[in-house]
Parts: sequence; C-alpha cells; structure tokens
Amino acid sequence: MMKAINKIRSSKALVMIVWVLGILVIWEIFAFVVVATKRTPENVLPHIWQIIGSFFDPKPVANGMSCTQIVLVNAGQTLSRAGQGFLIGTIVGFLLAILMKLSRIVEKIAAPYLMLIQLIPILGMAPIILAMTHDIGSSRIIIAAILTFYPVATNTLAGLNSVEKAKYELLYSYAAKKTTIYFKMLIPSCIPYFFTGLKIAAPMAITASILVDTLQGDGGLGCMLSQSLKHAMSIYVFWDIVVFSAVIGVLSCSLMGWIENLISPLKRVERKAKKKEAS
Amino acid sequence: MSETNAYNPKKNIEIAINNVSVVFKDNKGNDVKALDNVDFDIHKGEFISLLGPSGCGKTTLLRTIADLLEPTSGNVRVSGMTPKEIRLMQKFGIVFQSPVLFEWRTVKKNIELPLEIMGYSKKDSSDRADEMLEIVGLTKFANHYPQQLSGGMQQRVGIARAFGIRPEILLMDEPFSALDEFTKEKLHLDLLRIWEKTNKTIVFVTHNIQEAVFLSNRICVLSPPPGRLSAVVDVDLPYPRTTDMRDTPHFGELVSKVRNSFEGGSL
Repeated sequence: MMKAINKIRSSKALVMIVWVLGILVIWEIFAFVVVATKRTPENVLPHIWQIIGSFFDPKPVANGMSCTQIVLVNAGQTLSRAGQGFLIGTIVGFLLAILMKLSRIVEKIAAPYLMLIQLIPILGMAPIILAMTHDIGSSRIIIAAILTFYPVATNTLAGLNSVEKAKYELLYSYAAKKTTIYFKMLIPSCIPYFFTGLKIAAPMAITASILVDTLQGDGGLGCMLSQSLKHAMSIYVFWDIVVFSAVIGVLSCSLMGWIENLISPLKRVERKAKKKEAS
Repeated sequence: MSETNAYNPKKNIEIAINNVSVVFKDNKGNDVKALDNVDFDIHKGEFISLLGPSGCGKTTLLRTIADLLEPTSGNVRVSGMTPKEIRLMQKFGIVFQSPVLFEWRTVKKNIELPLEIMGYSKKDSSDRADEMLEIVGLTKFANHYPQQLSGGMQQRVGIARAFGIRPEILLMDEPFSALDEFTKEKLHLDLLRIWEKTNKTIVFVTHNIQEAVFLSNRICVLSPPPGRLSAVVDVDLPYPRTTDMRDTPHFGELVSKVRNSFEGGSL
C-alpha cells in the first residue's frame, strides 16, 4: 500500500495531470466569468468544450474547409518552414560554437553579434528580412534559423567550456592531437548542453514561423490566426490554432528530449537507475 | 642535501631532477616559491613517493616531470631527454586525484581511450583493455558506465587506463586520497601487484605517511614553505608487501623516521 502511494507520488505523469487539470480549472473559471459579463464571450475566452467541439465540427468556416482542415493545411506550411529553419539554425549554431572554441578571435568577434541578435525583437527583424527576400517562405526559414541558432550556439559553447582541466591534462599527457581532443573529448561532452539548446530552440522556431506568417496573406498558421481575429472567418479558427500550436510547441520540445534519450548513453544509464529505484 | 646526491649511484637513473625551482605569481603579482632548488634522482623501476603536507610543492614537482609545468630554473631529464620529448613519445601514464573518466564511455572504452589515441588497432586495444580489466578485477563491469561505479572502482579504472598503455613512467597524484581506508588498503595491494608485474617506475604523490611507507622503495620528504627536499628515506620492507606489515614494529619505526625527517621536527 505504502509502496503504491510512493509510486504515485513519484510519478511524473501524475504531476503532469494535476498541472494540466489546474490550468483547465482556472481557464474554466474565467470562461464562466466572461460568459456572464461579455456580449461576445467566444472572442474573449470560450469554454474548453467549445474549442474541442470546433475541432470536430465538420461545418465549413472558410473556403469550404472546416476549422480542423484549415489548421492542418496551414500547419503543414508553417511547420515545414519552421523545421527547415530549425535545422539550418542548429547546424550553424553548432559550427559557430566549435569555431568560437577553436579561436579566441572568432569568439571575440561573434559574441557581441550573438548578444545583439538576442536583443532585437523578432517582430522588428521579420519585416526587414521579408523586405530583403520578398518571399514569406524563406523569411520564415531565416527567422526560425536565427532564433534557433542563438540558444544552440550559446549552450553548445557553454558545454565546450565546461570540460574540466584534468581531462585536458590527461589527453595532453598522451600527446593527443587537437582533432582528437575535439572528437574524443569536447564534442561528446557538449552534447547534453547542445540538446538543452535544442529544447529551448524548437518551440521558438515554431513561434517565430507563426509570427512571420502574420506579415503576409499567403497562408500559414499565423496568417489564419490574424484573419480569424479580424473576423474574416470563425473565431474558433483562432482558438484552434492557439491550442494546436501550444501542443506542437510542447511536443517539439519533448521530441528533442526523446532524440537525446535515444542517442545518449548517459541518458540510458540514468533511466536504468531510475527504474531500479522505482521497483 | 649531500646525502641525497650521494644516494645509490650504481642504480640506473631514469628521472633526474636537477636544481628545480618553481616560482608562481600570486594575485597581487608577488613571487611565491613553490619549489626551492630540489635536486635528486629517481631510479628505473623504482616506486618513489613524494611526501609532504599541503602546499609543500609535491604536486608541482610531479607536474614538472609530466611536462605540465616548466621549472622556473633548473631542469628535469627523463632518460636523458626533456619531459616534453618523453610526453610526445607517449611514455607517461598519469593518474589524478579524481578518476577523470569520460562519462559517455563505458569502463572498457575508457581504458581503450589512450590506446585509441596511440593508434592501436581496434582488436589490440580491446584485448589490452580486457587484460587490464582482469588485473584490476573489473571484468564484470566492462560495459558499465563510470557513474554506475563506486569511487574506488572508478579509481581502479583510472589505474587500469594508465597501466594499459604500458608506460615507462607512471605518475600518480594523490590517487587514493578521496577514498575510504578499506578501499584504500585494497587498492594499495592492487597497485603493488601491478607494479611488481610490470616493473615500471612509479612516482607517487601523497600526504599520507603510512601510505608512502607501505608502497615505496624510497620516500622524498618535502617541507613547506617553500618546497624544499628535506630528506630521502629508504624503506627497507621487503616486497611483496602484505597488510600485516602495517602492524610490525619496523613499520612503525619507519613511519616515525619519516615523520621526524620533516623540517622543523615532528608534525
């Protein structure tokens, strides 16, 4: 009995359920207040069941498509661009981190730009990129790449710099070459940090891509979002996109965690240890 | 000092430490002497301990041998060559105070690491690693990751890795100081067993008098401040050494002899 209770208490899933329930309850409390006080409550905060219902409502809301169809069709556009940008940003970020580690000069030059990119608001940068490329698709990719690249580069660099002195001295004593030091020591030890960067970057790339959509009327989740807000189509398209992007954002982050678990022996060991503890 | 220089001239000298001084700069830019004109020789195949309290410069001395540090004056010669030349010939094995294992590599892969660096074939490094695992008694843990092992076992992996390359000279920097007494006594026996098998030169840094007496042929006693060689003590206990020897009166005499050789009398 005691064991069962402990198991429940240490269960990650349970914590998650309580946490989600908490959000739902607070949402509903406000939804009821809004229904009682506002003239068009669905524009402010609809009930959760209304949003869920709209996902399953086959009634066309625009261009002969239902809410769900609109979300999915446009999500394809936005997410594929976000994915491409994420991939490019990851590669560039990782390589830059290695270059910064290799050369103090590169680090000195790149560090202020990295800071700068982080400081410029994405909403300010997006129109400039769009004006330069004249293409919403490539703008999405570029913005997603820029946003990805920063957390990946800084986290990877932190990982490269976290290697303790004794490990260097060990390889030094074996007269290891520089390439050996990188491939056998520095790169493997920065992998957990690299994945921390990916976990931060993945939802950001998606958010960025949606934001860039809103700049032009060529489709994409952000575009539908703003049209729905302007009442060009059912407001539930807006709510469905909000819920959908939130779920995709969380999933993108857990996908990175899943990949990390798959490739990292360290994680496998940790998992085994946890399982042992639990049983 | 004259006693040191006159010591056992017939033996084959492996490491010659010639009037080595090391001066560091502290935060304020003042000179701090870490080693002051240390001069003695280490013989081939010998187990020698560098003994002294914290801050006596024993680790600094080890680092000058390992080419991790340049002496400010004087020099170190290993088989007539500079430490750097010996290091580039990959003849050093090093064991640090912490095991310094690569967390993402299994125990066996950790032992293979220096062999990979030295360009051994996959099969050769695997065979050598198996052999070393056998010697340190970790065969069953070959495919474990370091963090699944106890501190003592991790340090054994570090020792296996250092011996695996069959180094000419093994440099050990307080390798057992973080371990409990029981583990330490067991590892002492393990280390001596491996040493007797391989007959390599071991330079062993420690602040533990009993440890130094139990393990070594000779003990270099360093005193602070600054790091000066105050005595070289011969340990005439026969090998193979056994744990019982720790309780003999002669062991006690040697311990007090070493203790009394610190400058400024007993500690």
